[in-house]
Amino acid sequence: MTAASPSEQDLIQRSTTGDSDAFGALVQPHLGLFYNGVLRILGNEADAEDALQDALISIHRDLPRFEGRSRFSSWGYRICLNAALMVRRSRVRIRDMERPDPLPLGPFDDRGHHQESEHGTEWQVEAQAHLLVEQQEMRAVLLRALDELPDSHRIVFVLKDMEDWETEEIAEHLLVPAGTVRQRLHRARVQLQARLRTYILGGRP
Amino acid sequence: MRLMPSCHDVQMELTEYLEGTLPLRRRLGIWLHLRLCRVCAGVLRGLRALPLLARQLLGPAEPVPDAALRALARMQQKQSD
Repeated sequence: MTAASPSEQDLIQRSTTGDSDAFGALVQPHLGLFYNGVLRILGNEADAEDALQDALISIHRDLPRFEGRSRFSSWGYRICLNAALMVRRSRVRIRDMERPDPLPLGPFDDRGHHQESEHGTEWQVEAQAHLLVEQQEMRAVLLRALDELPDSHRIVFVLKDMEDWETEEIAEHLLVPAGTVRQRLHRARVQLQARLRTYILGGRP
Repeated sequence: MRLMPSCHDVQMELTEYLEGTLPLRRRLGIWLHLRLCRVCAGVLRGLRALPLLARQLLGPAEPVPDAALRALARMQQKQSD
């Protein structure tokens, strides 16, 4: 059984025969998803627009090979992420060459233990538990924090924690050892956790 | 190396711990530490919660940005050239 709806199937069929309007109608409902995925990896709108254009060309080219085993949106989204990674490889990022900041952990005493006891560190994982205005603030803080991460760290966080890629798969795409992926992921997680801390820790901030 | 690592060491290795890539002795040391230290256990819960929270905050459908529509228009133009 295929996951694509008949109308989507029809649009796919027409797109493969060169119907440009059908292709537009096919991808239009997913453009926001595609664009935001690419933007999160690349971090700037100009690169994201270029990468999305490349991705749409690839999607159009590869449509005859789409077998409908997954949803079209998932299949297309993955092509978009790959296009973003390709664009990233062709860019030299100054921010990536900087020495990483110390992680916002601690404070620790001379033996590496906490200097003061902290209590009430229960995370409220359900975003719905927060008021709408808080959610909007958290969203803005998270976007800013993601933007401030070095590209190499943000990409790993997006692929692993938001897109559920396997560590080895990320390592293969980024051409780095899996240990490096885990190291970058940890740095990204700790930095983001520190930025969101006042919003997501229950009880006393 | 002591069996039970410090808070600093634990917090530096939590992602490796979650991924199951640490040697057995180290895993055991961190496991034990997490049962005795509420602060480090809280940091671990935070790391576990972060992906879901990020997906919830950034996941909802947004209006299609103009840049995405421009990319589609440029792509269609290219295809028709």
